Amino acid sequence: MRPPLRKRGFCHVFGDDIPLDEGIMPFRFAIGRVTDPKELIPHLFAAIDAAFPQRVRHGDLILAGRNFACGKAHMQGFIAMEALGIGVLCGSMPYKAHRGAVGRGVPILTGCSGIGEFAATGDEIEVDFSTGEASNITRGTARRFPPIPEILGDIVARGGLKGSLAAWLAEHPEMRAPIAAQE
Amino acid sequence: MAGQTSVQKMLARAAGKARLEVGEVVYPDPELVILHDGYVETAYRELSGLGFGRIKNPERVVFVTDHEVAYGSPRAIDRGLNIRRIAKAWQVGHFFDVGRGGHGHLFPMEMGLVRPGMFLFAYDMHATNFGAIGALAMAMSTEITTVLATGSVWVPVPATIRVNLHGAWHAGAHGRDLGFLLAAGLKSGRWGVGGDYQVIEFGGAAVAGLATATRVALCNSVTEIGVANVLFPIAEFQSDADARYEAIIDIDLSTIEPQVALPGGPENAAPVSAAAGQRIDHAFIGACGSSMYDDFAAAAGVMRGRRVADGVRMFVVPGTVETAQRLATDGLSQVFMQAGAVMLPPGCGPCAGGLMAPLGPNEVSISTAATNHVGRFGSNEAKAYLGSPLTVAASAIAGRIVDPREMLAEL
Repeated sequence: MRPPLRKRGFCHVFGDDIPLDEGIMPFRFAIGRVTDPKELIPHLFAAIDAAFPQRVRHGDLILAGRNFACGKAHMQGFIAMEALGIGVLCGSMPYKAHRGAVGRGVPILTGCSGIGEFAATGDEIEVDFSTGEASNITRGTARRFPPIPEILGDIVARGGLKGSLAAWLAEHPEMRAPIAAQE
Repeated sequence: MAGQTSVQKMLARAAGKARLEVGEVVYPDPELVILHDGYVETAYRELSGLGFGRIKNPERVVFVTDHEVAYGSPRAIDRGLNIRRIAKAWQVGHFFDVGRGGHGHLFPMEMGLVRPGMFLFAYDMHATNFGAIGALAMAMSTEITTVLATGSVWVPVPATIRVNLHGAWHAGAHGRDLGFLLAAGLKSGRWGVGGDYQVIEFGGAAVAGLATATRVALCNSVTEIGVANVLFPIAEFQSDADARYEAIIDIDLSTIEPQVALPGGPENAAPVSAAAGQRIDHAFIGACGSSMYDDFAAAAGVMRGRRVADGVRMFVVPGTVETAQRLATDGLSQVFMQAGAVMLPPGCGPCAGGLMAPLGPNEVSISTAATNHVGRFGSNEAKAYLGSPLTVAASAIAGRIVDPREMLAEL
């Protein structure tokens, strides 16, 4: 059974070209290689929306335009998003940022056009990432966006790369034994 | 249904599918998996930490030693010991220790380990070099651990930009010059495409006459802007006539003039005149984009019978053991040493983080390195320019950055 990839939460709407460094997360945390979500969460999106850290709730959704998470593909922002159970719907994302976010277990829909018309900050929405179906509960409207590719959906549902590797090992217990010990 | 591009065809074969569309995500089956000496320990630690006692398909795994070949610290000696232990524990199929092979983006092509048409995974981004012979090596960085553990990792099918080459080079122009210009044009959006996870596919009438070293120079120089890959497709995987490209770029080779990449990245291309006269302290020819035999033969043509300027230290780093042997046999090593240059062992040379022959604060370098971002080979306060082997050789002789055509004209 495929685990469900559905989220219901309040949305926070941002524009185009939101940078990873100094947009999603201050650059100093990337340089300092900070990976503790507790340290990172109070700074998430604060550079472009000072009230965000106070406003955000677990399971919320980020709606953004084109080129979301641009610049050097530092992962600190996605570490914070994963810890907060945040999902992302955006127009587009640079490849490395998208790949990194998937690896960290952040559910993302890319190729979402007209996101600004679909919802405003504060609206409550529900998104099924595996089908691309999204409904704006506050407004009583619905949209269909391109779904997350099946393979990526599986990785995200398992919590990213590490979770996927652990799951794979559980399905292939023979990989636990060194070769020499067995043969 | 539109035709397929080369990369669509190559990934389809590796994924066991009849055809693939751009954007589809697949788990392709690699023929080889290449890791360099800088990442073996980390991969082992991570997988052991997760409980993996073995890796999938160890017979396909290749360990290369090119980043630190002449251990400069106790840590490097220790790393070497660990790599040997890990190669044994995992029973990797191809282990190239210190002094064996050389640069992992070059010797596998020279010795026929990486072959035309092959699909493989690698750790390092400059594995795009293999596109020179029509092999497709997807660089996965840290996700190479997933490949080691499970045999594959997710790959989205990239879109393609076609670059058609025609015309003939003028003397003094080189593949690196065009590579820098392409990187700059893509980065600036000159052709309406940025290259982000797109494949640069070379074609056109002039391609057949390009040496492997020139193809490597082209593949290498556009890599850093974030392309998915670079390909000179072999006949079996040529794009269909109706394949869809993001852009088609036509280049007349006769318009290419010597370039430098200003400090900051290979995409900072400018005509040599933009930096001409800049005094230098350090020069080197080598690293994965410019260390095949032809690169050194071109440089030797400029340096023969001349001396490296006083105050300039110059390093020559053959990419592979085989190239080093050829340079010695053909007398080209002699040309470089008579000029006052230092021959370094095969591998990455200074480009691998300045572990060898680094730059000091406020020093200026011109080299054929793969990239020249801040601190790439030494001090953050140094300035590193890039140029072709010809431009680097001429500049080392002059003691300042010069257009190599000035010296070629004097020959």
